[in-house]
Amino acid sequence: MVDKRIYEMFREIGRDLYSANMISSHGGNMSIRLGDRVVIKRRGAMLGNLKEHDLIETRLDKNDSGVALASTELLVHRTVYMNTPALAIVHCHPRTAIAFSLSRDELVPIDNEASYLLKKIPVVTEEFASGTPEMAKKVANALKNYKIIMLRGHGSFATGQTLDEAFHWSSTLEESCQIELAAKLINEPFIEYRKMSESYNKF
Amino acid sequence: MAGWSEKVLDIDLNTQTYKTYPLDMEMARLFVGGRGLGARLLWDMVGPEVDPLSPENVLIFTNGPLTGTGYQTSNRFSVSTKSPLTGTVLDANSGGFWGMQFKKAGYDVMIIRGKSEKPVWIEIKYGVITFHDASELWGMRVFDLTKKLEQNNNKRNVLCIGPAGENLSRIASIMNDRERALARGGPGAVMGSKNLKAIVVEGKDRPVIHDPERFKFLLYETRKLLAASPLTSQALPEFGTVVLMNIMNNIGALATRNHQQTQFEGAEAISGEELTEKYLVKNASCWACPIGCTRMSKTGKVEGEGPEFESTWAFGAQCGIDDLPAIIEANSLCNDLGLDTISVGSTIACAMELSEKGYMDSDLRFGRSDQLAPTIEAIAYRRDVGSDLADGSLRLATKYGHSELSMSAKGLEFPAYDPRGMQGQGLLYATSNRGGCHMRGNMVGPEVLGLPKMIDRFQVQGKSSFVILHQNVSAAIDSLVLCKFTNMGVADEYFARVLSTVTGIQYDTGELTRVGERVWNLERLYNLREGFSRTDDTLPPRLLNEAPTDGPSQGWVVQLEPMLKEYYRGRGWDENGVPRPQKLEELKLADLLVRN
Amino acid sequence: MPTVKLYANLRKLAGTKELSTTGATVGAVLNELVKWNPALRDVVLENGGLRPHIVITLNGHNITDLGTPVMEQDIIAIFPPIAGG
Repeated sequence: MVDKRIYEMFREIGRDLYSANMISSHGGNMSIRLGDRVVIKRRGAMLGNLKEHDLIETRLDKNDSGVALASTELLVHRTVYMNTPALAIVHCHPRTAIAFSLSRDELVPIDNEASYLLKKIPVVTEEFASGTPEMAKKVANALKNYKIIMLRGHGSFATGQTLDEAFHWSSTLEESCQIELAAKLINEPFIEYRKMSESYNKF
Repeated sequence: MAGWSEKVLDIDLNTQTYKTYPLDMEMARLFVGGRGLGARLLWDMVGPEVDPLSPENVLIFTNGPLTGTGYQTSNRFSVSTKSPLTGTVLDANSGGFWGMQFKKAGYDVMIIRGKSEKPVWIEIKYGVITFHDASELWGMRVFDLTKKLEQNNNKRNVLCIGPAGENLSRIASIMNDRERALARGGPGAVMGSKNLKAIVVEGKDRPVIHDPERFKFLLYETRKLLAASPLTSQALPEFGTVVLMNIMNNIGALATRNHQQTQFEGAEAISGEELTEKYLVKNASCWACPIGCTRMSKTGKVEGEGPEFESTWAFGAQCGIDDLPAIIEANSLCNDLGLDTISVGSTIACAMELSEKGYMDSDLRFGRSDQLAPTIEAIAYRRDVGSDLADGSLRLATKYGHSELSMSAKGLEFPAYDPRGMQGQGLLYATSNRGGCHMRGNMVGPEVLGLPKMIDRFQVQGKSSFVILHQNVSAAIDSLVLCKFTNMGVADEYFARVLSTVTGIQYDTGELTRVGERVWNLERLYNLREGFSRTDDTLPPRLLNEAPTDGPSQGWVVQLEPMLKEYYRGRGWDENGVPRPQKLEELKLADLLVRN
Repeated sequence: MPTVKLYANLRKLAGTKELSTTGATVGAVLNELVKWNPALRDVVLENGGLRPHIVITLNGHNITDLGTPVMEQDIIAIFPPIAGG
């Protein structure tokens, strides 16, 4: 049985993700690690409108009955927990970030906040960009060294100690991409305002 | 290679000789330095048959690949040994300047074995090692001795014990740079048992940095982050660590009168605000540190470094004392005599409770600030009541038939945070490898300060995940060796990058955390080999059964059982808290079992 | 009226350690507080909400929801971003 406070946290962050246009009605996913167990969204549930029965608790390292109900992306989440120190994962579809991921191998922010907090967001790519062990491994490997990464064309995966930390990175990324998109529309020469920014892509 | 000096200095006090040899770089890759490297070497050198105060115990001083590079707070160093207080694996680390100089002397590790027939002090000067007769110095207190051996912060640094270590008090510290301390677990007694009075270092070597350009960039980014974080740029420099007094009291997690209450009515009088307003001269910092949390305080009687939050608490709330000048003087006295302020304060508090309840015949009473100084002196010299207190609260309380009144885990006294107000902290205390300690994964970040984000301090389910992560990260930082306050402004992904940049070996954030996990499991194996078991992962009955009757933590006891179960599973250990073979394989510790 | 206690550098900014102020919710109390002590506004609030790492407790319990109701006898404590060991 999942503690009520945990449910409330899932519900709030899920609602925030939806209202920030970072997921579609049934897209995206979130999970947290509880020791050797994972709490994740039920398959088919709406992150923006989670009910208590929409949270599934299952084992981290192998299948138990919970797996029948858990999200199809459970494998990725498990692989991330087994290979990184993450305690929470937010996977969403930030539109502008996804658009940029189609033409770049890494996103290097130009705005202050994301330069500060993120520096560089790697883009990984996988043919079957959903639910396969290869994709899970690729995402987990990238997350060993970065707290948020993009899976080309698919969406972002962010880790943190809590869901709100992972949400923080996701939200910052999307904001950053929207700013860059606006700058592209404005299309005027960029005045560099940050010292040592040429090193960000080496972060 | 870069970062490490790749040299070990191995000293034999029996014969007053030494040898130097290359550092095992495979070992260094896995354990990095500091606490990690120290623990690994201790595993090989000191087994369960060794009495901590016998010549067969060793003192292993270590620095890390980042030490002396000039990265923020790259001044810290570590000592590893078997603790005479707890019998567990022990490491203690300290700041100041000695660590930086030790690195400049050209060594990653200094091992001290055996026992000198007569008191001795060691001088390491530009590669020349000299053993000096310390008969004239034996008995000297720390401040005088440090001056006599010509301490100069940036050039010549003194590490020594005071009378407490000489008298083998199990709560004696090793002091460096006059008022910095390798405090907990009694390392001072180990040094005293070897007849070693001091180690003075002067060096010239500078660590090699593999990628200086990238290093400059990371240095700049760290400077920016530390300046932007109000914690590291304002709170700590202005109020020091004592700034925590009021907040811990406000939320009902400030242990008071030997953990009989969780709030202290005198908290305001001993707060960081009060200290800054009335007794602070200025702040100060260790080498290469922009934060400057050190207090330089002055009362009518003393002037010097400190007090820190824990010291202020130990002589303050824990003893029911709200006389800040008396507390400042007590702290200074402990520094001069070479004693761990937390263990001393909490042992005195234990004695106060034992005496008030009539279990022990002494006039020690809560609130008696006049009793602090004489009792501390008595402890250092094992005189009168000091002979009972000099070996910590557990031995004291056991002697008088009430071991349950020692507020400790595995014999190490708890610091200020009362875990009935912070569930995660309770789990931390019960599982910490060196005993009841907060520095091995302090949950004050997430549970009280909201760092990185606020979690519910009373929630039990899932709490172990945080404790495990913080324990691993702390162990990694202790192996680099850096100051944990940097982590308050800078995420550990920076540390991984700095380590890679300095050494040229790729460590990603996950790999660095893995180092911490490896160190943690090794320490666990060490304790298991010593005979510790699941039954030692516990807390005193007061914290498990006696809930506070008022304040915000009213009604709460530490829910240890469920948290511990979840913790063992989360760590990949069996239900007895023994690391499973699969976990040891994963951490490349499996070969250690051959000796086990 | 509920009591507001200030800590660390907030004391210097407000010129006092403690004051009484009206307000039916935590948010309302804070608004009153910064109205009478404008120096506190930028330190405590941001975009109508709490600045990051400001810790507010109500009778010792951490508060994040500014809509939390406040009673006559309640004590609200405000801590600026602080740290320790």
